[in-house]
Amino acid sequence: MFGLNFIPPLVRTALAMLLVGGLMGYAGTAFTTTVIADSGILGGGGESSDAHKYMMALLKREADSLSQLRPAADVVSRALEQQNASQQAQDVKPLSVTYLGGSSSGRLSVHIYAVEIQAGSGQYQFFPLALTIVGGKVVRVE
Amino acid sequence: MNSARAALILATFLGGIVAGVTIYAVTDKGAEANPYTSLPRAAEPAVTADVARALSTDDAKALSNQLDMEVLQQLQTAIEPLTDIRSMKFVGAVEKNGRTLAAYVAGGRTSDGTDVLVGFVLRVTGDQIVGVN
Repeated sequence: MFGLNFIPPLVRTALAMLLVGGLMGYAGTAFTTTVIADSGILGGGGESSDAHKYMMALLKREADSLSQLRPAADVVSRALEQQNASQQAQDVKPLSVTYLGGSSSGRLSVHIYAVEIQAGSGQYQFFPLALTIVGGKVVRVE
Repeated sequence: MNSARAALILATFLGGIVAGVTIYAVTDKGAEANPYTSLPRAAEPAVTADVARALSTDDAKALSNQLDMEVLQQLQTAIEPLTDIRSMKFVGAVEKNGRTLAAYVAGGRTSDGTDVLVGFVLRVTGDQIVGVN
C-alpha cells in the first residue's frame, strides 16, 4: 500500500521506530517541561505559562491575545472587549510586575500578581491581580 | 542476524526519541520573559498571618477583633463564593513605599458543595490591614 512494499521490511520497521520514538520524545519533553515549569520545582515559583501570557497581554493591551486566553465568548462580547481595550488610557506605563505565587487543584489554579503602574498624569498605583484559570482559560480576574 | 536486527530497531527507536527531544528544544520558544522589573519578595506580615489563621480555623470572633467592618466586608466579597474554608496558603508578599501586599489562596467548598480555590490579597500599611482585593 502507498508503494511501501518497495521498501525493505527492515528499513520500514526502522523508519516506523524512528517516527514513534520521535513523537514520544517530542510529546514527552513537552509534557514534562510544562509540568515542571508549572510546579516551580526548578524555580519560577510555579507561575503558569497561561497566567504569564495573560498578564503580558493585559499590560500590552493585546485584545486578541486576551480573548484567546479567555473562555469562548460571543461576537458581541468580543467586540466589547476590543472596544474597552482601545478606550483604555494609552499612556499608562507598567513599572513592575511581580508574580507572588499561586496554587492549583486539578484543572483549577489561582495565580496572584502585584502590579505597579504610572499614569500619564503622574498618578501611581500599586495593586494586586488574582487570575483564576480553568483548563488553560482565564475565567476570573480580580 | 536476529539480534543485529533487534539492535538496529532499538537504536532507531532511541535515535527517534533523541531527535524528538532535540526538535522540541530547538522549536520551543518557551514563555515570553517578563519585560518588566519584579519587586523583591517580603516575609508574611504577622498581622495577615493572624487573619489567615482565623479564616482557616473558622474563628469568626478573632476575625471580628482583627478587622474593622469595612475590611471585613471587602474580605467577604474577596472570598466569594467560598462558604467553607478548608485550606489556606500564603503564596507571597511584596512591599513598596511602606505598603505591603500579602497574597493568599483559600481552598474549600461553595454552598452547593463544589470544591474551589479563591485568591485574595490583604493590603497592609503600618502593621494594619487597610484593605482586601
